[in-house]
Amino acid sequence: MELFLMTLTTGIMVGGIYALVALGWVLIYKCSGALNLAMGELTLIGAYVSLSFYSMGVPFLLALLISLVIGFILGILTERIFLDRLIGEPVLTVIMVTVGLSFFFKGIVELIWSTDTKAFQPPVFPLEPFRFGNIVVGQVYLWSFIAAIILLVIFVCFFKYTRWGLAMQATADDEMAALSIGISARFVYAAAWAIAFMAAGVGGTLLGNINGLNISVGYLGLLVLPAVVLGGLNSVPGAIVGGIAIGIMQNFCGAYLDQYFPGGVKEIAPFAFMAIFLLFKPHGLWGWERIERV
Amino acid sequence: MSTTFLPCGVYHENYKQDHAWWQTKFIKSKMFLLFITLFFIIPWMSDSYSLSICNQIGYTILGALGVQLLIGFCGQVTLGHAAFLAVGAYVSTLLVLEFPWPAVFIELGLAYPISIFIAAITAGLWSVLFGLPSARVKGFYLILTTMAAQFITVDFIITQYVSQIGGRGQAFSLPLGTIKVGPWAWGVIDSDIKIYYMMIVLTIICVVGVVNLLRSRVGRAWVAIRDNDISAEVMGIDIIKYKLLAFFVAGFIGGIAGAVWISNLAAISPEHFPWFWSLWLVGVILIGGVGSIHGTIFGSIFMVVVMELLQMAVMPLADTYPKLLMDFLFIKEAAFGLAICAFLIFEPNGLAYRWWQAKNYFNLWPFSY
Repeated sequence: MELFLMTLTTGIMVGGIYALVALGWVLIYKCSGALNLAMGELTLIGAYVSLSFYSMGVPFLLALLISLVIGFILGILTERIFLDRLIGEPVLTVIMVTVGLSFFFKGIVELIWSTDTKAFQPPVFPLEPFRFGNIVVGQVYLWSFIAAIILLVIFVCFFKYTRWGLAMQATADDEMAALSIGISARFVYAAAWAIAFMAAGVGGTLLGNINGLNISVGYLGLLVLPAVVLGGLNSVPGAIVGGIAIGIMQNFCGAYLDQYFPGGVKEIAPFAFMAIFLLFKPHGLWGWERIERV
Repeated sequence: MSTTFLPCGVYHENYKQDHAWWQTKFIKSKMFLLFITLFFIIPWMSDSYSLSICNQIGYTILGALGVQLLIGFCGQVTLGHAAFLAVGAYVSTLLVLEFPWPAVFIELGLAYPISIFIAAITAGLWSVLFGLPSARVKGFYLILTTMAAQFITVDFIITQYVSQIGGRGQAFSLPLGTIKVGPWAWGVIDSDIKIYYMMIVLTIICVVGVVNLLRSRVGRAWVAIRDNDISAEVMGIDIIKYKLLAFFVAGFIGGIAGAVWISNLAAISPEHFPWFWSLWLVGVILIGGVGSIHGTIFGSIFMVVVMELLQMAVMPLADTYPKLLMDFLFIKEAAFGLAICAFLIFEPNGLAYRWWQAKNYFNLWPFSY
């Protein structure tokens, strides 16, 4: 029972981080229709930027803020240089450009920071675990979860109450109508990429705090794909629920199934689940089912 | 496939001429020259290093052919083709190393050819298994399923289970002389030139086979599904059957590619079939041109040769900057990513389109209007 509860809490907390990254993914898809396979590399860039500033002696929150700013700039640059020219191109073209981007970013990250595992030194969060009765949770997890939830709330408020956020919602809903009332679609696309970079960067930084930072954190960024498939590609609440569900599932598989397999279940389970889930409910829990006509 | 115009003054009088593979004497002599070049001039002129590059090109063509078939002709995007290469390679390796072949088979050198065939069939069936979701989903969802195929097959099943067979740990070693084709003494595959001949023969068979398949009813059905699957279904094409058939053929060719490639490797491990390699194959056809067999070949040659040239350019600098040698892999990755982006943005039709333009220019010269 204790194991169950502990796995559950850890899963929810890691899932919060996934939810944050998944939110960035859904945003890009909703606003510009681009299916982004470079999400893992976006998490890497943000994580390494904040790590470099942190190891230079900048306080953690400030380092995070700097990585947010750099993520914002990179996001706008990426959209303007690569994605802007592809508006109206077939889906495969856009997907493959994001694949190309992911290789490009990955190569650059490896060139600059090399592939060794790096840790946040000194540790950002205190090492002694937190206790709620019988349940023991690492402080890293708890604080990461709290940070992820705060950011999620900020992003959701941004969409609901600010002018830019409403413009993005309008574009996602109906691009033509949005254009006709004077919203600049190009601006919205750039903003979506910028926000995705920022969300992924924070997600990467938090993940890097848990186990140290190396290229495999980019693989964790790929886990957003099962999350968004579960929630539905164009649903923000779906992304959050999907992220948390994938986090929980991953930890349960790690805790309970690992003894029956030689290993690697934890990494594979979300993808196996995704493949089976797609067979039965390809549009996810809350995604829109588009009816096709010839 | 884009139409190629015939040269001025060439007419067809019956359908047989119209459907001929090589329609003019000029093309026939060109193909003869190509044959001579491939079978005699290249092996005669080149040293072991350039032969190994040729082998790499052949392997890339074989791998990319299946991807081209799925993406370019059937419209089913796959990002996990390395999984099927891996299945082919592992089945073939296991059969060669572990299967208790009767002595006759080993003496006659039949073990490896049979294992290639079985490996290809297994890879094809494995590919159909992951193609099953294509009955219900398409586009991005199918991409995710094929990605799952890569992770499940290579990172889980092969790494955790298949690699443990025989207690060897991570890698299966294939010492020189394990692989033997035919009963003759020279049938032992132990040098680049023998691999080259095997590779070239299999590549030609596969390319010709696929091109012929595309000219048939099956190929036309695939193209109809690619262009619009709903209309194809309305036209009476059993789209599920043809989609799965496309997956089978793609996996089959992938299996051949993997099984042939083991002759070039001293040891085989899951690291030979990473996700990067799946994406690399898709990149090859994007650069060569989607929906063109020429494109597959041009793309393979272009990518392998450019990466070798890049390496050659980096090597002399390595004396002064030793770090560069270590970082070459990363430079390669970044260059590959940038190349895909640049081709998709500036030359979405790929290299094959340029080739087609050049060919038509000369065919129609001097009256091109």
